[in-house]
Amino acid sequence: MIVPMTHILAISAAMFVMGLACVLAQRNLIRILIGFEIMLNAVGLTLVGASALWQKVDGQIFVIFLMAVTSAEVAIALALVVYLRRRKATLEADAYAGMKG
Amino acid sequence: MDVLLFLIPALPLAGALVNGLLGGLLPRALRAGIAVGAVAASCVLTLVLWPLAAGTGTRATLFTWLDSGSLQVPVEILFDPLSASMTLMVTAVSTLIHLYAAGYMEEEVDTARFFTLLNLFVFAMLLIVLADNLLLLFLGWEGVGLCSYALIGFWYAKTQNAAAGRKAFLVTRVGDVFLGIALLWLFSLFGTLSISSINAQAPLLDSGTLLLLTLLLLGGACGKSAQLPLMTWLPDAMAGPTPVSALIHAATMVTAGVYLLCRLFPLISLSPTGLACIALVGALTALYAASCALVQTDIKRVLAFSTMSQVGFMMLAVGVGSVSAALFHLLTHAFFKALLFLAAGCVIHLAAGENDLTRLGGMRKESPFLFWMFLIGVLCLAGAPLTGGFFSKDGILLADFARATPFYWTTWALSSLTALLTSIYAFRLLYLVFLGEPRDRRTKSPYLPDTMRWTLPPLALAGLLGGLLNLPPLFGGTERLTMFLGDLAGATLHVGLAVEWFLLLLATALFALGWALVHLRLRYELRSPSGRFGDFLLRAWRVDDLVARLVVRPFQWVGEVLWLWGDRRLIDGAVEGTGRLCLAGGELLRRWTTGRLSTYLYSLAGGAAAILIYLLIRAW
Repeated sequence: MIVPMTHILAISAAMFVMGLACVLAQRNLIRILIGFEIMLNAVGLTLVGASALWQKVDGQIFVIFLMAVTSAEVAIALALVVYLRRRKATLEADAYAGMKG
Repeated sequence: MDVLLFLIPALPLAGALVNGLLGGLLPRALRAGIAVGAVAASCVLTLVLWPLAAGTGTRATLFTWLDSGSLQVPVEILFDPLSASMTLMVTAVSTLIHLYAAGYMEEEVDTARFFTLLNLFVFAMLLIVLADNLLLLFLGWEGVGLCSYALIGFWYAKTQNAAAGRKAFLVTRVGDVFLGIALLWLFSLFGTLSISSINAQAPLLDSGTLLLLTLLLLGGACGKSAQLPLMTWLPDAMAGPTPVSALIHAATMVTAGVYLLCRLFPLISLSPTGLACIALVGALTALYAASCALVQTDIKRVLAFSTMSQVGFMMLAVGVGSVSAALFHLLTHAFFKALLFLAAGCVIHLAAGENDLTRLGGMRKESPFLFWMFLIGVLCLAGAPLTGGFFSKDGILLADFARATPFYWTTWALSSLTALLTSIYAFRLLYLVFLGEPRDRRTKSPYLPDTMRWTLPPLALAGLLGGLLNLPPLFGGTERLTMFLGDLAGATLHVGLAVEWFLLLLATALFALGWALVHLRLRYELRSPSGRFGDFLLRAWRVDDLVARLVVRPFQWVGEVLWLWGDRRLIDGAVEGTGRLCLAGGELLRRWTTGRLSTYLYSLAGGAAAILIYLLIRAW
């Protein structure tokens, strides 16, 4: 392996935290979604790295699954976003508090 | 032939089953007919099978009821002189009472239930009488308790009647606990519950055990026979229909306790102290009840206290060691007390439901027939010379006197005093009900059903001639009952002729004195219990108050405390507290679900961070 595992972990950790920060800090639904995608990619990167480290293909297969699931998820999420936007004419996350206990 | 013995109790049971299951479908006359027929048939059967009782009697086993290890409870009947005489009395008197009841309940709606219970009552009593196994006896023992409860509270729509039934049930149950303990103990001592073998093995026991066993049996007998500490239920039991009162007082239930002690006499006679306790309880109860009977204003309550008093005499006879005297008095008492109760029922019927002595009076003119019947009953009760009651009571006093110890002389003096009081209250009752002028009384209903009327003469005859059963040699008799009982009769008496004459004359004198006192002084004086002492007697020495204060109220208090603190505070508190804690927790968590995405995301991040930190610490 050319790249040491620590580097991969560092990068994916940094990506994950940045994604998390995006998710937590943003108020716009689409931006929150983007943050999620970044976090997922960080996880995928870790999996690929680990797969290469241990010379096992499982991790890479897992990442392919992850991509498939993510694309499905994004499709649904964007559809939801469009729908929500129609309902309230806004994409501010805090406007959607209908599930208040 | 032996197996036919089982028909004696089985017939009333069959009558009860038929009436209980199909009674509602049958015509009224048939319900009564079945009930009367069933008891009459077992009476006839007893007479037919009478030869079986001779000597040591006949023992018959039908099947084994319980068979568990060493516990063997066969359904076993012992038909010996003691149980045979008792069976004959129970069936004969019950037949007449059933017949009377058929007339008495003519206008009642629910006769199917009534006759079912009445037959069941007789069945349970016959089970007590005939059983040769204590557990079978106990079955009958509880059976009469149940039936008396249901019959005393027969008119349960009135709370007062239902309460009287409940009281009878609960108070006799206290005695049953003692009997139950005695049964268990006897089983653990002998490994059997057969009465015959317990009686045979009793001499092996040491005196302390015997005394305790005797006291336990006495406790059981006190409950059923309404003796001193457990007698409060009997006067209240008057709430039931009159035939029921007659049945409880004359033929069944209250005599069960005396019979139990007679049945186990070989055991209890081994403990002189135990016998003395029985004698003391009997004598004190007799005196106590007679004193209460002096001032009662309810005709049936007078008779109730009188029963208690006479049963006290029987207990005294057992305590003195003379089973034959006890059984003799039991038999004659059954006749004349049934007569008195049934006649009182007729009086109440004629007076349109009036049973208050202050309002009755002058009944002689309305029904001379009833007057004569009642007079015979009163003469027997008061111990008029040559009546059945005279001989049987005298037999007890004689047996008591013959023991010739200071203790037994004391009980003798007490019971002689009781005999005087008996004469007084019996005649007071007669004068107040039948003689003089009618007092404040509603118009009478002159109609008296024939079945009610014609059951009285046979009882009167039996009461008058009851003395012939056990006529002492002094009158040319042969003490037939004592002879018939043989070994079961208890201690034999050795008294001089002079003592016998002295006691006879004393009994006559007491009877005459009582009558003279009533005739000359009390006559129609109602002795309204206004005085403190009269009131004290009227309320039966305030025993009910005492019981309420000593038992009922502490019990209520304990119940209240347990309910308030144990149930409400502790258990409900714990359960409701848990619920409230969950609610509060939910309320707390509810605030978290703001419905805002950011909050959830922060929670998610916080949770993930917490897990990470935890894993880091673990990995370290």
